[in-house]
Amino acid sequence: MGERLRAVLPSVFSVFLALAVCWVFIALTRDAETATGAYLQMLRGGLGDWAQYFESERLTVLTRPLGEAAIKAALLLLTGLSVTVAFKVGLFNIGAQGQMLVGALAAAVAGAQLQLPAVLHIPVAILAACVTGGLWALIAAGLKLARGVHEVISTIMLNWVAVSLVDNWLSVGPLRAGAGTHLSITGTAEIATSAQLPRLLGEMSRLHLGFPLALAVALAIWVWLSRLRSGFETRAVGLGSEAARAAGIPVVRRTAQAMGLAGALAGMAGAVLVLGTEYRYPGGLGAPYGFDGIAISLIGGNHPLGVALSALFFGALRAGGTRMQLLGVHKSYPELIQGLALLFVAGRLVWLALLRPRKVAPVVPTRQPETSPEVPRA
Amino acid sequence: MISLRHIHKRFGAVTALDDVSLDIGTGEVIALVGENGAGKSTLMNVLYGLYQADSGEVLVKGQPVRLRSPRDAIAQGIGMVHQHFMLVPTLTVAENVVLGREPSRWGRMDMDRACQEVAATCERFGFKLDPRARVDTLSVGSQQKVEIVKALHRGAQVLILDEPTAVLTPQESDDLFRVARGLAAGGRTVVFISHKLREVLSVAERVAVMRRGRLVAEVRAANTRPEELAALMVGESRVPLAEAQTYHPPGGEKLLEAKELRARGEDGRPALQGISLEVHAGEIVGIAGVDGNGQRELAEVLTGLRTLEGGGGNLLGGPLTGLTPAEARRRGVGHVPEDRLWRAVVKAMTVEENVALGRQTQAPFARGLQVDFAGRRERTAALLKAYEVRPPDPEVPLQALSGGNQQKVVVARELDAGPKLLVVVQPTRGLDIGAVAQVQAKLREARDKGAGVLLVSLDLEEVLALADRIYVFFEGRVTGTFTRPEFDEREIGRRMLGTHGEEVAHG
Ligand SMILES: Nc1ncnc2c1ncn2[C@@H]1O[C@H](COP(=O)(O)OP(=O)(O)OP(=O)(O)O)[C@@H](O)[C@H]1O
Ligand SMILES: [Mg+2]
Repeated sequence: MGERLRAVLPSVFSVFLALAVCWVFIALTRDAETATGAYLQMLRGGLGDWAQYFESERLTVLTRPLGEAAIKAALLLLTGLSVTVAFKVGLFNIGAQGQMLVGALAAAVAGAQLQLPAVLHIPVAILAACVTGGLWALIAAGLKLARGVHEVISTIMLNWVAVSLVDNWLSVGPLRAGAGTHLSITGTAEIATSAQLPRLLGEMSRLHLGFPLALAVALAIWVWLSRLRSGFETRAVGLGSEAARAAGIPVVRRTAQAMGLAGALAGMAGAVLVLGTEYRYPGGLGAPYGFDGIAISLIGGNHPLGVALSALFFGALRAGGTRMQLLGVHKSYPELIQGLALLFVAGRLVWLALLRPRKVAPVVPTRQPETSPEVPRA
Repeated sequence: MISLRHIHKRFGAVTALDDVSLDIGTGEVIALVGENGAGKSTLMNVLYGLYQADSGEVLVKGQPVRLRSPRDAIAQGIGMVHQHFMLVPTLTVAENVVLGREPSRWGRMDMDRACQEVAATCERFGFKLDPRARVDTLSVGSQQKVEIVKALHRGAQVLILDEPTAVLTPQESDDLFRVARGLAAGGRTVVFISHKLREVLSVAERVAVMRRGRLVAEVRAANTRPEELAALMVGESRVPLAEAQTYHPPGGEKLLEAKELRARGEDGRPALQGISLEVHAGEIVGIAGVDGNGQRELAEVLTGLRTLEGGGGNLLGGPLTGLTPAEARRRGVGHVPEDRLWRAVVKAMTVEENVALGRQTQAPFARGLQVDFAGRRERTAALLKAYEVRPPDPEVPLQALSGGNQQKVVVARELDAGPKLLVVVQPTRGLDIGAVAQVQAKLREARDKGAGVLLVSLDLEEVLALADRIYVFFEGRVTGTFTRPEFDEREIGRRMLGTHGEEVAHG
């Protein structure tokens, strides 16, 4: 237990440190009162305005903000899991953004072009997004396995290809709503009502099916990695691919599967975005949830349940961020907090060194980061 | 010159060092011996700054020093070569040696100067190494030389060698000892850890004996016999005796029939140049040879890890050509590879997960598509007990075990799978004498139960002790075959060096 706690501490500390640093920053540029006020607003925006609820008994002052937080968390969770799954097989997936983009477009097309009852339409549209995102990621996996191209390079480049393809061409060109007419709409046609993810609380919140779906997926990934044979094999490949090969584990297949799954998860995030809130592929998908996924995954310790916690936390923070504006504080602070937390987590070796009690050394010595040049052999 | 005073070190519940004090003088060769897990590596890692002692102090020239990292230790003139090398395999010898203190010109690394410097260091201490060779193309023995040169290049006055001879041929070991004595004569100090008591007594002046975290004795090598040392290590005078050898005529079917095998090594050079050999059920076949003469590649071909480029044959009822690691395991090939940390285990995984490796799809490690946690735990616990692995805890990460205990886990796992053909490379590498005897007994037991064993070892003594038949390898060819009891050690040695005159033996 102590071990596990020690694995979690760096992330928790990093987040608190990031919160503190940003508070100081606001306090310095404005004043301490504004900083505290802004944080309180962020809390209300992310977790609901409980004070007002007890006064007015209006449930919506809770459900609205919580719903927004959940929606953001769902997206962060799916992209975070995408990065995590790739990480488990030893690959660094910088490409969740591109995979999400192509997935979102696929969901938008399937949502708008097909006519199906909702029970079929939603799964089909999500599936389309997963397959597209998965295939997109498999390009990187294929390049890696066949030609040894480093996945960081290829996934970054594929992000740009996805932006060019989807944002700069398809969604404003051939797939634009009313293409061939003079209407100057950007983005694709609106999806059918049957493809919209149902709202769980009706008019009280925008909370939709995407949230429980993302949680269920996180749970499934956790079960897969920790309890199933194939998950074990995948982790073995990630932690020692030569030993895995010698043990008869199909290294190539496991790598391709994990990377395909990573792409599918990012693609699913795209589907949740389109089917849950946007209802079409807007001209230019601004939201960089794919990149956020990297931070969410690392802060979550690359563990599915940790990633879920980290996504919930930052989902709430991000949703609450908009309310900071009430005090004239810029709404991008939550992103800054997330970025700083990532930075501090990346320095986790430092944390581990500081945390190391004088008497008892950690049973797990510093786990070398993937990029460490000192790969001891023999 | 260096004193360790009252060093204590615990890892969780395990006490690795318990009040250890040791003086290390100038210009001496001192050996550190003890059973697997006694705390030898831990003690030296404290001296090298890799571990911090919980209490106790280190004095250099009478002054207490704080060794918080190897950097501090190197600054104090302490260098260490680890049990598991710490080289960057894709860099050259010169690059590895100068890593962290590269000579540079205009801000760029000056390769030529690096090579010159490294060549000069090699020259000075009498090592034959090509500074421009990539480390992953070198034999294990040469990689170790790179490590030693690296330490000396950084000005080590005290050189710690953690089981340096575990991977060396007798010839290479002798070279190493010459180097060690030379260094000591030149005023440097060599501390070396070994399980081979005979060589310990021949090279060291003083021997420190550790047992379960304590320093139990210090003796002068000159008036100590190996048996006495062994008794001090295990704490009782029960020392395993070598079993008397008898020839086991191949009793059973042909498990392996290899014809004219050809394959390339890691560096692209032809490593197997037409090897033919057979292994029958119920025999131990030893491969004798100097490191780098094709033994490693043979083991890789037989386990599906290396592609065959020519020749072929039959392995456990299937063709050798196109063999994959999974297929080899399915047919019943067990493998104890030479390079433990790289190929045999995943060090960041737990001991039980490592025991499951290779059989992760079978009972008792899996049930359907699921991992069978209970079955895995039970089997692992039983194996750890049977092989006296310490600590016998299935849940710790493998890297928390001492080197010898890691090796025991690998051997236990492979034997437990009940292989029909066992391909073992240096199976007793890093094991203490008790464990060596135990593993050798297990190999004999497997043979007696009808398995075939192909034993590759650089330790000719081990091959002579275990094998029923011996193939001698030289430059990728079989230069001689011998059958017990006609083991002619001198003739085998000549054939290992390819200096057996005109007549060519046929395998
Ligand atoms: N990083 C670690 N975490 C937990 N326990 C450890 C760690 N390193 C060593 N130990 C434990 O400390 C004890 C001493 O280990 P050490 O490696 O010093 O043994 P050793 O004498 O070098 O043995 P060997 O001959 O097998 O190499 C062992 O019980 C080992 O399991
Ligand atoms: Mg050791």
